[in-house]
Amino acid sequence: MSDASLPVVLGRYGELWLKGKNRIDFERVLVANARVALAELDPEASVEREHGLLVVRPTRRVHDVARRLQDVFGLVSLSIARPAPSEPDALVPVAHAVLREALDEHPLGRAVRFRVSTKRAEKRFPLTSPELDRYVAERLPAELAARVEVDLTEPELELGIHVRTRTSYVFAARLAGAGGLPVGTVGRGIVLLSGGIDSPVAAWMTMKRGCEAVLLSFHSRPWVGEGFERKVERLARSLARFQPRTRLVLAPLAEIQLAIRDSAPAPYRTVLYRRMMQRIACRLAREERAGAVVTGESLGQVASQTLENLARIEEAGELPVLRPLIGFDKTETIALARRIGTFELSIENEPDCCTVFQPERPIIRGRAADCEAAEARLDVEALVTAAFEARRTLAITP
Amino acid sequence: MGPIYLDHAATTPLAPEARAAMAPFLTEEFGNPSSRHAVGVRAARALEEARRHVARLTGATPDDVVFTSGGTEANNLAVLGLARAQARHGRHVLVGPTEHPCVRDAARALVEEGFEVETLSLDARGGLDLEQARARLRADTVLVAQMLVNNEFGTIYPLARLARLVRASAPHARLHVDAVQAAGKLELSLGELGAHSLAVSAHKFRGPKGAGALALAPGVRPRPLLFGGAQERGLRSGTENVAGIVGLGVAAELAERGLARAQAHFAERRAQLRAALARVEGAELLEPGGSEGVAPAICSLLLPGPPAEAWQHHLEARELYVSVGSACQAKKGGVSPALLALGLDERRAKSVLRLSFGRETSAAEVDAAVDALGAVARELRA
Repeated sequence: MSDASLPVVLGRYGELWLKGKNRIDFERVLVANARVALAELDPEASVEREHGLLVVRPTRRVHDVARRLQDVFGLVSLSIARPAPSEPDALVPVAHAVLREALDEHPLGRAVRFRVSTKRAEKRFPLTSPELDRYVAERLPAELAARVEVDLTEPELELGIHVRTRTSYVFAARLAGAGGLPVGTVGRGIVLLSGGIDSPVAAWMTMKRGCEAVLLSFHSRPWVGEGFERKVERLARSLARFQPRTRLVLAPLAEIQLAIRDSAPAPYRTVLYRRMMQRIACRLAREERAGAVVTGESLGQVASQTLENLARIEEAGELPVLRPLIGFDKTETIALARRIGTFELSIENEPDCCTVFQPERPIIRGRAADCEAAEARLDVEALVTAAFEARRTLAITP
Repeated sequence: MGPIYLDHAATTPLAPEARAAMAPFLTEEFGNPSSRHAVGVRAARALEEARRHVARLTGATPDDVVFTSGGTEANNLAVLGLARAQARHGRHVLVGPTEHPCVRDAARALVEEGFEVETLSLDARGGLDLEQARARLRADTVLVAQMLVNNEFGTIYPLARLARLVRASAPHARLHVDAVQAAGKLELSLGELGAHSLAVSAHKFRGPKGAGALALAPGVRPRPLLFGGAQERGLRSGTENVAGIVGLGVAAELAERGLARAQAHFAERRAQLRAALARVEGAELLEPGGSEGVAPAICSLLLPGPPAEAWQHHLEARELYVSVGSACQAKKGGVSPALLALGLDERRAKSVLRLSFGRETSAAEVDAAVDALGAVARELRA
């Protein structure tokens, strides 16, 4: 049950170029994703669409609800707002209460530059937008009037009023939204998740553009312990905040690594491991009806991420490989990882599958013929099938 | 009627669910969470689950929860650690007027490091004086520590409003909230309070002693107090008290899930106590504070006649266990500053008894407690 006097959270969505069916899909998915995002924090909250605005009526923890919605892709900005009946004289006291609270955020001793900004969706409202702006500003009680001066061009404090048919909304601040597109409007991708800094950021960027990320990780038991799986599980949990449903698929790589160790030149091991990962990812993609494989690779970041090696890896599968970080410097990726909240986890020291039989000098410019020659000595199909069949799928919640 | 325990603000009995969840970690699941093998990983997973429960209780994300040995350590870590982490912005610290010694004395210890420490005031009604707080805030204020629920009266302090004033006048300040008495009684949320850190202690809400947590807002990191194996992301080294933390997690889950029922239960008991108190001549329920109200589980009674110690021990003889002020205050033997701020003289301030309810406290127990108070009142007068 929503209490009519409790504050609400307004979410604004951009991408205004969206028209017709695209727009309807966008809004439908956005509403559904917002509901899932709040399922644990406030399952009773109502989430609705009102004239191009997402209106969430929480039953508790309004600030936490707003903060949770900041992780939902598709919202450009959010405001915590107070509802009021859509009549000028009912709006005025609510606007003043919101202003009084907002003024707490400004130090005393100097007038705060202030304005009222009305937006009307309800054109039958008796006052025009500028008239309501003035109506509210002219009726400030003395103690509030003494603390502000009207400044229409460069206000520090903007009191927003959205006038709607029955209930209008008053707010004083905007929170940044996550931007992007609602996850699920742009299909699905298989994201290769290692324990490192880059791949969680790549997963986040995939989701940001509306693409559901199915996470795929490889473990090398018994060469590497369960700690690695726990680490990727925790990373997956951090990422699960950003999409309505998250699955982590764990596939074993050790058999494949042994086979490669025993039959391929040592410098080619890393590139051959990755070709196998690519094949398994494509197999999973087929089953999941995913349209792409996503990696955290960035050009030239480590010796193995050369144009040649990236080509060798991509050739092994039939799907396009998306590399959202391709042009990022490490510092840029780290800054984003901190913002997303995966950085501290990523740097926890935990051996992963790449460290198993790691060659001292990996090949820098792998050649296709050499890869194929090495793989000719392996039963690639059987190895890939065995690893794929042995995968485990975990449903991950934040 | 058997013994009646009305001192839940000092400590609570362990919830059976918490005890059951802890048992394996005191026996066969003895792993070290830092070990890389399966025995260790199982312990580490148990910590993660507890972390999620504490995160939910406090409105933090799991990655921002630091387990400690209890409320005292959580408060020390916040006060010392956050002040030190912010010291490049200034060295001015404000502490609330009625803080627990683990906050007040930790802040006092900062003086030796060149910090200037001031104490906020109560207003005439015994609430937090926000106008005075606003006047004390400065550009070089780096820490404000204020409890959420007063441990003697249950007064709820206006944290959200204080947070806004802090953001306005002291942009570098961290706002730390000692929520030890609030957990299980109020909704706790860093976001709603506008706080940077929040301390809880398991044994105050039906968890075990020796486990607590500091919940942090995103990006807020105190300097550690303990160094070593870099557990808790380097914020609190030392092998984790796995069983205790598991108990904390379960208690947090129970507190979060049962909050609405607990609040109704405590409100009922307080109303009952207030009504029945008419039977004890000269006794008065103290309810200082302001608009935010009171946590009904904590009741302070002003009693006629001899000091509260005499009441306490006469009641003890009738198997009713209550406390004089808070247990921590009692150990130090002083008079509560909150009582003096209320305008009680020293003699009257020593006649205050605290009754605090738990989830198990029944109506019959409250009734019997008031009977015992009435009987002791007659004894002490005779």
